[in-house]
Amino acid sequence: MPAELKQMKDLACTSDSHVHEQSPSNQTSIAMMQEPQEMVEETVTVEEDPGTPTSHVSIVTSEDGTTRRTETKVTKMVKTVTTRTVRQVPLGPDGLPAMDGSSPMGSYTDSIDRRYLKNGERFITPQASSTLTRSYNSYNESYPESHEGQYRPYIGHDGYGDLSDSYGSLSRGVGYRPRYAYVPGGTYRPDDGSFTLPSRRENYGPVAQPQVPVGSSVDLNRSQPERFQPEPYGLEDDNRSLGVDDEGYELDPDYSTVNRRTSAGVPERGRPHKGRGYDDPIETEMVEERIPYLHGGYAAPLAQPERGSMASIDRLGKRSPSIDSIRKDPRWRDPDLPEVIAMLSHPIDPVKSNAAAYLQHLCYENDKIKKDVRHLKGIPILVGLLDHPKPEVHRKACGALRNISYGKDNENKVAIKNCDGIPALIRLLRKTNDMEVRELITGTLWNLSSYEPLKMVIINHGLQTLTNEVIIPHSGWESEPNEDSKPRDAEWTTVFKNTSGCLRNVSSDGAEARRRLRECDGLVDALLHALQSAVGKKDTDNKSVENCVCIMRNLSYHVHKEVPGADKYQELDAGQTTGTGGSQKKKKDDAGCFGGKKAKGKKNGDLDRNFDTLDLPKRSEAAKGFELLYQPDVVRLYLSILTESQNFNTLEAAAGALQNLSAGNWTWSTYIRATVRKERGLPVLVELLQSDSDKVVRAVSIALRNLSMDRRNKDLIGSYAMGELVRNLPSRQQRSAKNLEEDTVVAVLNTIHEIITDSSENARSLIQTQGIQKLVAISKSSQSPRETKAASHILQMIWSYKELRNALQKDGWNKSHFQSVSAAPKGSKGTAGRSGYDDSTLPLVDKSQDNEKSGSRDMIPMDELGPDGYSTIDHRDKERKYKTIDNIGDASEKEPLKNDTNRKNINRSNRASVNLVDARDIKPQPVDSWV
Amino acid sequence: AGTGGAGTAFVPGQPVTAVVQRIEIHKLRQGDNLILGFSIGGGIDQDPTQNPFSEDKTDKGIYVTRVTQGGPAEVAGLQIGDKIMQVNGWDMTMVTHDQARKRLTKRNEEVVRLLVTRQSLQKAVQQSMMS
Repeated sequence: MPAELKQMKDLACTSDSHVHEQSPSNQTSIAMMQEPQEMVEETVTVEEDPGTPTSHVSIVTSEDGTTRRTETKVTKMVKTVTTRTVRQVPLGPDGLPAMDGSSPMGSYTDSIDRRYLKNGERFITPQASSTLTRSYNSYNESYPESHEGQYRPYIGHDGYGDLSDSYGSLSRGVGYRPRYAYVPGGTYRPDDGSFTLPSRRENYGPVAQPQVPVGSSVDLNRSQPERFQPEPYGLEDDNRSLGVDDEGYELDPDYSTVNRRTSAGVPERGRPHKGRGYDDPIETEMVEERIPYLHGGYAAPLAQPERGSMASIDRLGKRSPSIDSIRKDPRWRDPDLPEVIAMLSHPIDPVKSNAAAYLQHLCYENDKIKKDVRHLKGIPILVGLLDHPKPEVHRKACGALRNISYGKDNENKVAIKNCDGIPALIRLLRKTNDMEVRELITGTLWNLSSYEPLKMVIINHGLQTLTNEVIIPHSGWESEPNEDSKPRDAEWTTVFKNTSGCLRNVSSDGAEARRRLRECDGLVDALLHALQSAVGKKDTDNKSVENCVCIMRNLSYHVHKEVPGADKYQELDAGQTTGTGGSQKKKKDDAGCFGGKKAKGKKNGDLDRNFDTLDLPKRSEAAKGFELLYQPDVVRLYLSILTESQNFNTLEAAAGALQNLSAGNWTWSTYIRATVRKERGLPVLVELLQSDSDKVVRAVSIALRNLSMDRRNKDLIGSYAMGELVRNLPSRQQRSAKNLEEDTVVAVLNTIHEIITDSSENARSLIQTQGIQKLVAISKSSQSPRETKAASHILQMIWSYKELRNALQKDGWNKSHFQSVSAAPKGSKGTAGRSGYDDSTLPLVDKSQDNEKSGSRDMIPMDELGPDGYSTIDHRDKERKYKTIDNIGDASEKEPLKNDTNRKNINRSNRASVNLVDARDIKPQPVDSWV
Repeated sequence: AGTGGAGTAFVPGQPVTAVVQRIEIHKLRQGDNLILGFSIGGGIDQDPTQNPFSEDKTDKGIYVTRVTQGGPAEVAGLQIGDKIMQVNGWDMTMVTHDQARKRLTKRNEEVVRLLVTRQSLQKAVQQSMMS
């Protein structure tokens, strides 16, 4: 497809000698005054490209099985070929429109390749397409020359593949009203009663000769629009009838794939077929098409689709309006699903590929048909076609598989896996250089990777291939850079996006998956290179970057415990704190990261302070592979992303990566924490506390909590971030300015707790930022037991600083405000039972208990996390929940939100000066790219 | 033509008219990169309602969102809010954001010719026609 379209595009490029130009767009407002200037004749052909529908689900899953699902909206693309002739009429003397006086007179033809988003019925209509038509078109070209109808010449016709290719798909698109029904061949016998359907006859209309220039030697390489004389966009009017067929249709009980196949080669025209006739134009075409086959001794199933009925497709489920409208044309009939699947095994390759393409079209956004394809055993056939030598065939098969693999029905994914579809896809990826095929393969794999049980299968079969074939080359990374050549930038191709999305999904499949990815040669190196390139080009909002950062974040999870040799870097005695607290349920998982910084006080501070004068460990050679994950160098990268990106998912992931890296109790975490400070990362993070995105606030808040294990970080965060943290808390009037989710509120509360722990100075700043009022309100009246408990912990902590009590009492607070709450949380223990931290509901905390707290502190907010404790690995459920809440809050909170956005814009002057955003998490981020 | 109904502002395939201006920008070499000195927003994969420049909030076209002072685009006369209809003959009214960006940043093209339309332009024409 692309190849042919390219030709036209080049054509278009050369014709830019015009000045005034009309372009289909929604500039309707000034239409009236256009008349005098130009006359426009426009013919547009729209073709569906079944390869383009892109449907991706990215799901990242945490180890505990909760998953987050991000579903990229499915967009269906329709390729449009426009042939437009504009005759320019001289302008009036006022010459106003002559912005550029040189407007050439005369006419030109401009061909534009255009993609239409599916956007309502009118868009869709052209999609309807049928395999039959397409073959028909092709045949048409060759027919005049090979009238004798040898099969061989037909198939061997040079350029055939290209030809059908260039029609994009099954386009029974616009120009293909069958104008030439009965024209030809001797073998057709119109009196054959079984092919007559009187009721349709009146619809049939006059038999016309082909309008395609018969007899002229057709240059198959010409660009199409010239060839097929499209009618102007006539598909809406295509009034193929619908219901009529239904009665005539009988589902042959024997009608199955197998049956079809065995009957291939046997002319079936004599077979009684109720209510179907060759005067149905589609069948008429089929007759023509069949002629060569018959001459050549071929009776192809393709030639017999009349057997079924579109009625069967009607029964397959709700059709899109477009199909309905197409169907209104009584002259066309689509093959039904069993027929299409049978055609996949047809001996003629173009039939196979057309059938696969049509299948892809049928499956688009139609779960019922996907399921039917599965039940009809179509999936193994499609997978089998992946190994087909002809690009056309494996491409279309892959396209069909991509649509089938998309969606919530995991059975389809499993079916692909069960017939070894994953290794077949990987095999094809190694073999093909066709970019489109690679996009389809990786898109399919992305879809498959969203289903938990397939993740490890993908890793086992495809990890290194995906890395070598896609990630490394597209990232621009070179393992042995040539000194002469400049470092290459990453290319954000669709293939890269798909592949990174796939790896993002599989990277969440637990410790073993992480290990495999970390140890995959070149993967981490290439991802880092790609991200650095993104930062360098200030192109950090796109999906590929998001995927890369998410992979990095996931791979950074538990590095301090999971990478080989990690034990060499462990600091302090990990076991120390686990002994102190009685309620640490997380011990079993995370004993290692518990103890670490138990000596939160001086010892820790000293150690971190020392780091400022310490050099990083000496290395004999540059870090590579997974070591790069936790080198302090990555801090700058993540901070750049946090500064630049406007993609909330990317921001969350980058903050999550810092959170993961700063969580550990090994030497590298200590370096990371200090590096964030030295790279001036704290202000970056604090600023992001203003984000409109719940999950960004949450990730940043947790990262700050981990970072405050470093004593100096804690002091700084206490002084500078307290205000922002408190601002994120719900106040009496409303849940919070941003209507933050419970999880986020709890995360913020836990961060505040951490910051004031062991620091009466920070507790004092909390009082100064009017935090007490909010905390008391939460502890007294929050609907959420987790919030209540977290707030009361803070209050207890504050009261434990005797030196602050005077100030507190001056403000009108008394002991009861800080104490009374402790009972309530106890009652609600059940809810928060997943975290030891929450359960340690103590009376007023005093310093002696800090140890326990500190033990839990490098665990990211336990409240947030599943049983496995901290991580920012996505939680699908939470995401969903969040979205729901967010939607609900949308109406009522609109004003505050807007204010928030404004505030953010003012503060973040380095952001786009033109802000297209009313930024809500749910909406796709408006992108703004410098060029 | 006339205005389309709500939701579909225009009918695909039907001619829609616009007054366009041709702008030729010579890229500026900046380090390794050739830059045009403006930024774009919009595209069929973007949320059109967030586009502050479009009159019709269903318009998924590519719009100029920022123009660098003194940059090649400004010199060539490009203005904030211009809607880009074509780039070197390529249609830009039905492309994704990224496709538009790529189309503008071809490394082997030192000059880009844009067809843009802008409201002021159209109003001027409109007025002249009425008078």
